[in-house]
Amino acid sequence: MLIDVAVNGITAGSVYALVAVGMTIIFGVLRAINFAHGEYYMLGTFGAWWAIETVELPYLVSIPLAVAIVAVIALAIGMLVMRRLIDAPFQIGVVATLGVSLVLQNVVILIFGGSYKMFNGGWIEPVEILGAGVSEQRILIVIAALVIFGGIELVVRRTRFGKTMRAVAQNIEACKIMGVDVPRVVTGTFVLGCCLAALSGALTAPVTGSLYGGMGTAITVKTFAIIVMGGVGNVSGTLLAAWLLGLMESAVAGYLGLQFRDAVAFIALIGVLTVLPGGLFSRRERF
Amino acid sequence: MGTDRGLRAAGFAGMLAFLLAAPGFLGEYQVHALIVSLTFLLPALGLNLILGYAGMLSFAQMAFFGIGAYVSALMAMRWGTPFWLNLCAASLVAGIVAVPLGFPALRLRRYSFVMCTLGFAVIAQTLAKNWVSLTRGDLGLSNVPRPVLGLWSSGLEIRSVTQYYYLALALGVIAVLAFLALVSSPAGRYMIAIREDETLAASLGAPTWRYRMAAFVLSAMFAGCGGSFYVHYYTVISPTIFDPYYGNTLLVIVLGGGVGTLGGVVAGSFIFVALSEVLRVAPDIRMIAYGLLLIVVVFGCPEGLLPLLMRRLRTWRRADAT
Repeated sequence: MLIDVAVNGITAGSVYALVAVGMTIIFGVLRAINFAHGEYYMLGTFGAWWAIETVELPYLVSIPLAVAIVAVIALAIGMLVMRRLIDAPFQIGVVATLGVSLVLQNVVILIFGGSYKMFNGGWIEPVEILGAGVSEQRILIVIAALVIFGGIELVVRRTRFGKTMRAVAQNIEACKIMGVDVPRVVTGTFVLGCCLAALSGALTAPVTGSLYGGMGTAITVKTFAIIVMGGVGNVSGTLLAAWLLGLMESAVAGYLGLQFRDAVAFIALIGVLTVLPGGLFSRRERF
Repeated sequence: MGTDRGLRAAGFAGMLAFLLAAPGFLGEYQVHALIVSLTFLLPALGLNLILGYAGMLSFAQMAFFGIGAYVSALMAMRWGTPFWLNLCAASLVAGIVAVPLGFPALRLRRYSFVMCTLGFAVIAQTLAKNWVSLTRGDLGLSNVPRPVLGLWSSGLEIRSVTQYYYLALALGVIAVLAFLALVSSPAGRYMIAIREDETLAASLGAPTWRYRMAAFVLSAMFAGCGGSFYVHYYTVISPTIFDPYYGNTLLVIVLGGGVGTLGGVVAGSFIFVALSEVLRVAPDIRMIAYGLLLIVVVFGCPEGLLPLLMRRLRTWRRADAT
């Protein structure tokens, strides 16, 4: 039981982490809460499902295809909507991204119908680890999360793009003066964040097994809790907060009942913020 | 400025005259739509207070609305209490619940505050779904008694749509007057000062934390009243009331109409509820159109519809004068 709870928790946490890290880097450069972020996770799942069911591609090929589809959609939204949010008051970002979320969700429902769909694909054969049966897909998710987080830390710290990203996050005016193409950095970061959410969606689909148009909302809401707990803009803090939330949720679902799982994130959030207003890993409150 | 005030007063008087006469020439369905608008007006005024005057974006409004609705429904069903008592109790309970939430939430800056209040709505929904012995869970409460206007159990029972409409209108007018009295009082001025520059306001001796808490509690009380009327009108309530959809509608009303203005929020309640009703003709693309509209409105007139209109009017008159 304890090992099951731990395994489920770490897997769920890794899924959340991949979505949340995208949101946290977008927030960093844009200072806008992205209410549509869960929709890119949903689109990733739908992309992979569509590739398997309609185009009859193998699961392994469907993942990059799903990410590519979402990249195109995110690029369009980034150019049309997100760029306009630079320097805009924060309420504008809330309403605009809510609008984007409504459009994406309902376009998917219009095209594919509102019913639940089954996802057939992935590697769900169990493997024996420490006496507990763990599906291969879950192991893949955890490894993918670790590799991608390592990659993002590298990109953010070492590459030129990462440096511009951090510069924009710190001081947008100074960047403009220094000749940084701020709209381009914003769009680039946005597309990167959305692709991470889509990847997370495509990787998780075999474990959750079903998909529907409204599945993104719950993810968006939980992601908010994670990025605030992890400290906004803090990449490794996000991973730890996501794992922590995954473990807590899985413990609550296992010992108290599944119906209480979705409230855990916010009880934890309110608890954490009461004691540490800057999140778990930062002394200073920043946003 | 003087003519502006005259224009505003004339606008309100004209609108009130129209609303008073409305059931005379509108069909039952249109009157129903007006009732829905007036129901949304109450929590929207609350949101306007906390967002427009205290500068904090709260997603807890609809949760307080739902709490008010549940309190009112349970009191009427279990004890047969009259409408006025349910209304007061709903507003009071919503206000009391806001206090312990305010302690952690109001310490936070804007983004963390948004998420904290959003979380409160999720927790409220989980509670409504799982406290089955009280709320009947997902089934919700049905057959909530209709409102009775009277001191106790006897009195006029509101049944027809027209009667409901005038009750809603009376509540709406009282709420608007209360709101007006509040924001033009010294407390309202403190709230504006805090929104503009909290550090400066604090340095001038304004007890900022206390006023922010007051704004939060009062906004919850407005929402609780709205919830009470809502549940007596629809006579059913279920945990779906805590769904993000309703909270978003509220946000659209306040931000789309004109945050920090009274007329904008009143106009917003009617415009955006009407719009959502009109879009029902195409149910497939209704939410898509709504979403696109949000994006267009927010970039087209970021300060809201009414302030935009007022500015246009002013430029026209200036052009006339020269």
